[in-house]
Amino acid sequence: MAIFTKTQPGRLARRAAGMAAIAGLVGTAAACSSSAAPAAQTSAAAKQTIIFATDGLGAEGAATTAAIKGFEAQYPNITVSVLNLDSSANNQYQQLTQRFQAGTGLDVIDGDVTWAPAFASAGWIQNLSSDGFPTSQYFPGQLASAQYSGSLYAVPWFVNAEGIYYRTDLVKTPPTSPAALVSDAQAAVKADPSLKEGFAWEADKYEGSITALVSFLGGFGGKLDLSDLNTPANQAALQFMYNTIHSDAITPQAATGWQESNVQSAWESGQTAFALNWPYEYASTEKIATLKNNVSWIPFPSTTGTPAAALGGDNLMIATKSAHTQADLEFIKYLTSPSVEITRAESAGDPPANSTAYTSALYAAAPYFKQEQAVFADTVSRPSSPIYTNISSVLQTMVSSVLAGQESPSAALSSAQSQITSLPGYTS
Amino acid sequence: MAATSTLRTRPPGKPPKTRDTLLSQDRRLGYGLITPAIVLLLAVTAFPLVYNIWNSFHYATPTIPVVNGKPAGLANYRRMFASGSAFGPAFIHTVLFTVVSVAIEMVIGLVLALALNKPFRGRGLVRAAVFIPWAVPTVVSAEIWKGMFDPQQGFVDYALKILHLPGSTTTWLANADTSWFAIFVADAWKNTPFVAIILIGGLQVIPLELYEAAKLDGASAWRQFRRLTLPLLKPALMVALIFRTLSAFLLFDVVYIMTGGGPGTSTETLAYLNYDAFLNAQDYGYGGAISISLIILALLIAGAYTRIFREKA
Repeated sequence: MAIFTKTQPGRLARRAAGMAAIAGLVGTAAACSSSAAPAAQTSAAAKQTIIFATDGLGAEGAATTAAIKGFEAQYPNITVSVLNLDSSANNQYQQLTQRFQAGTGLDVIDGDVTWAPAFASAGWIQNLSSDGFPTSQYFPGQLASAQYSGSLYAVPWFVNAEGIYYRTDLVKTPPTSPAALVSDAQAAVKADPSLKEGFAWEADKYEGSITALVSFLGGFGGKLDLSDLNTPANQAALQFMYNTIHSDAITPQAATGWQESNVQSAWESGQTAFALNWPYEYASTEKIATLKNNVSWIPFPSTTGTPAAALGGDNLMIATKSAHTQADLEFIKYLTSPSVEITRAESAGDPPANSTAYTSALYAAAPYFKQEQAVFADTVSRPSSPIYTNISSVLQTMVSSVLAGQESPSAALSSAQSQITSLPGYTS
Repeated sequence: MAATSTLRTRPPGKPPKTRDTLLSQDRRLGYGLITPAIVLLLAVTAFPLVYNIWNSFHYATPTIPVVNGKPAGLANYRRMFASGSAFGPAFIHTVLFTVVSVAIEMVIGLVLALALNKPFRGRGLVRAAVFIPWAVPTVVSAEIWKGMFDPQQGFVDYALKILHLPGSTTTWLANADTSWFAIFVADAWKNTPFVAIILIGGLQVIPLELYEAAKLDGASAWRQFRRLTLPLLKPALMVALIFRTLSAFLLFDVVYIMTGGGPGTSTETLAYLNYDAFLNAQDYGYGGAISISLIILALLIAGAYTRIFREKA
């Protein structure tokens, strides 16, 4: 409440001293602030602990723990300490950037496919181009997400694609267009009164609405070309999203507050005929007796015949400031080796990022990966940019305001485009 | 200070010290004692403030290395007022929220305080019940309210339905108006008790004799309230008003949890934009500029209140 004290004479000198102290503090901070020089390296054979920042609960977390055990058995001098990140992608990003700026406490980072360009441009992660990773074995979309200005900065760990789950007991033949999906969903709700909705998808104002958007855009031949957003195809896709809630009434308005986990519980409780979700849902559904034999997964159907399944997945990166680069590389090579990826795929449902891991052994253990591969073939990535989070923020607002009926698709698209192209650091 | 130092006993055998040296000794000790606090304050308030001011005149965007660290002049400040900027709408949202929520909370808080100040059986229990929301962290209460307003599992729509009231199929957080309503409710639930606590404190120091005298003079209850309670409660009212206004002006957590600024941008507040710039966009220059504007606005509010306070007192 210093605001309420009156200024007294004779305070000037003290104030000057205070300012000097502040200046000193600022100077110190500036001196501490990051330079991109790599840290002095611990030799590969020395006993050392590396920090692995990752998320993942339940089956995914257990698979990570098991993989670390296997790695530590093979490399007895290296201990992997897991830094558990928040389960929300937005919060993970913030936790990581804060640590990067602090400059300590990170060696190997497990990050979303959209993050490598930002981390690389800020100098926070190492260039891995000359470390012998088998780039030709990765899915093209995910490889692109791992590169920044022509160099490999991240190693694809597992791939993800968002597609449509549907109940084969309610929908006999897979819809081949968005309009068919709507009528199938309406018919299913009419036929089965136990259904609460026809189509569950995540429409909350968060990153998930952008992956949904990518899939829906593909349904109408649209795409996220940031310098040409306001196209008839993109308008049609946004109109479709609005209609699912407001006129077709296959999606409840509550979905505007739904994230992936809400879609998951809607699907798993059997209250919806269609649901937009990621591959882990397949593994999860296999454990539910009533759904197990009544599930199929397809890319969101497209009027153009070329659907788009939003690309997700995780890439592994090494912090520039890591003092254990050799150990970090060994760990990443271990995690991304086909046999370890297959084990993870079987136990946690995470589809391998390395295409050579799709073997008959994998299909024998988890037959649904065969069907999943069809969806992976249609993956489309979100825009790749060092300022992706800023771009996504604008797009999230665009989707949200269309769904709330505040803006027409055309107005929202054109306003988003002008906001994005005037973002600092935007390059087309 | 002068009084205490002259009372000090002089060590034997030494010449008496002059008043001046004693004073300066005292002063030195005083500075020594407050140094740790000053250093701590400088580190946690002054340093971030100066650092923010510095950032606000620079491009401070680690993910855009081509401009990162370069002087920006007024570019960050100009961006707030550029056409299409979210700053203007967020400013209007913030001001409207502040005025309406503070008004609601002050009125309900006053009524609660008056009621809870009267002796009645079980008053302790009722008081505790009323104050509990204030002890709940805002993040928790906002999550609870978000759940309450959920159209499928929430209590609000359920209650409206069984009471046969209109609006039982409302998806509260999907429209601008209903979102704001939900935010007002969540915020008032949490903060009205705070106002009530401060006002009860104010009521308790009003001597009962005054009311007895007023009664003898034949003053009605309303007259007692207008002429006695309100004027004597003014200091407590002002404290509650200032605290609530400043914290309402910095509204962030309820919005972040319940709506994420949506639908669209309709519930974005200045503090939310600030968060967005800092933590989502990693733009410490623009974020700094918003922070500095928030500080200036908060100072203006505080300044205006102190002025009113002084004039009325």
